[in-house]
Amino acid sequence: MSTRTVHKLYWDFEKEERWLNEMAARGLNLVRYRWGTYTLEQGTPGEWTYRIELLPEVARHPDSVKYLDFMADAGVETIATYLRWVYFRKRAAEGPFELYSDTDSRIAHYTRVMTMYGALTAALTASTASGLHSVTSNGLNFFSAPLFAVQIAILVAFATYTLRVALRVRSLKTQKQLFE
Amino acid sequence: MIPETQGPLTETVFYVLLALHAPLHGYGVMQFVDEISGGRVNLGAGTLYGALNTLVEKGWIEPVEGDTGDRKKEYVITDAGRRSVGVELNRLEELLRNGNRIARKGQQ
Repeated sequence: MSTRTVHKLYWDFEKEERWLNEMAARGLNLVRYRWGTYTLEQGTPGEWTYRIELLPEVARHPDSVKYLDFMADAGVETIATYLRWVYFRKRAAEGPFELYSDTDSRIAHYTRVMTMYGALTAALTASTASGLHSVTSNGLNFFSAPLFAVQIAILVAFATYTLRVALRVRSLKTQKQLFE
Repeated sequence: MIPETQGPLTETVFYVLLALHAPLHGYGVMQFVDEISGGRVNLGAGTLYGALNTLVEKGWIEPVEGDTGDRKKEYVITDAGRRSVGVELNRLEELLRNGNRIARKGQQ
């Protein structure tokens, strides 16, 4: 079967999920993911629904293994794992595929995502601050300038995303005062 | 006598407890709930997994012992689980009674 590889980097897992489902709607199904490289296999359009989840533990952890077994029993295939991230798919013919159907579990998942990106943002801030220190003492040069610019761009992107997820958690918590 | 009280059960917990009046595995619970709710409630697999673990910890459901040759784990409701469903049904009946009496006054 014909496959194609796509190189892409997402930090917003919901955008990534939307893209995977758009591809699947055209019959380009994710069969492998590794380090920003997506392998898509040509198949039947609309056959699969994809979902991405951030687990509480890395994929090899016994708790995660138990969860992935449970998913397999429920007809959910694990396509790829990457640190704590999992890429799932289920046949669309078997009905709608959602990981979360209540507000509490949605809040728990977004909180995990927020905590992870919050930690990454903090680490990047520390490293950018030390970078800034070396720039002020040594000045920018041909090599350091682009690297520094990229680092700041990533920091801004992560910080913005962390904030967006935090707002999402807050709005879900407000909603919980009215609905389950 | 003041009736036994507990916090309201979530819709997920209530339907999972109903489903497990007969032994079922996770996927069976999803199908059962989808069916008796007329397709309104589609339990998310992750949500269901969390609910099953919490209910086992609480002792309201338990894994079915004995090897059926099927590696899928089945669960069934316990006496404690049945009691919680009973308390919840009393609460729901009260809501329904009061709701009908006040909000649907004269419509029946």
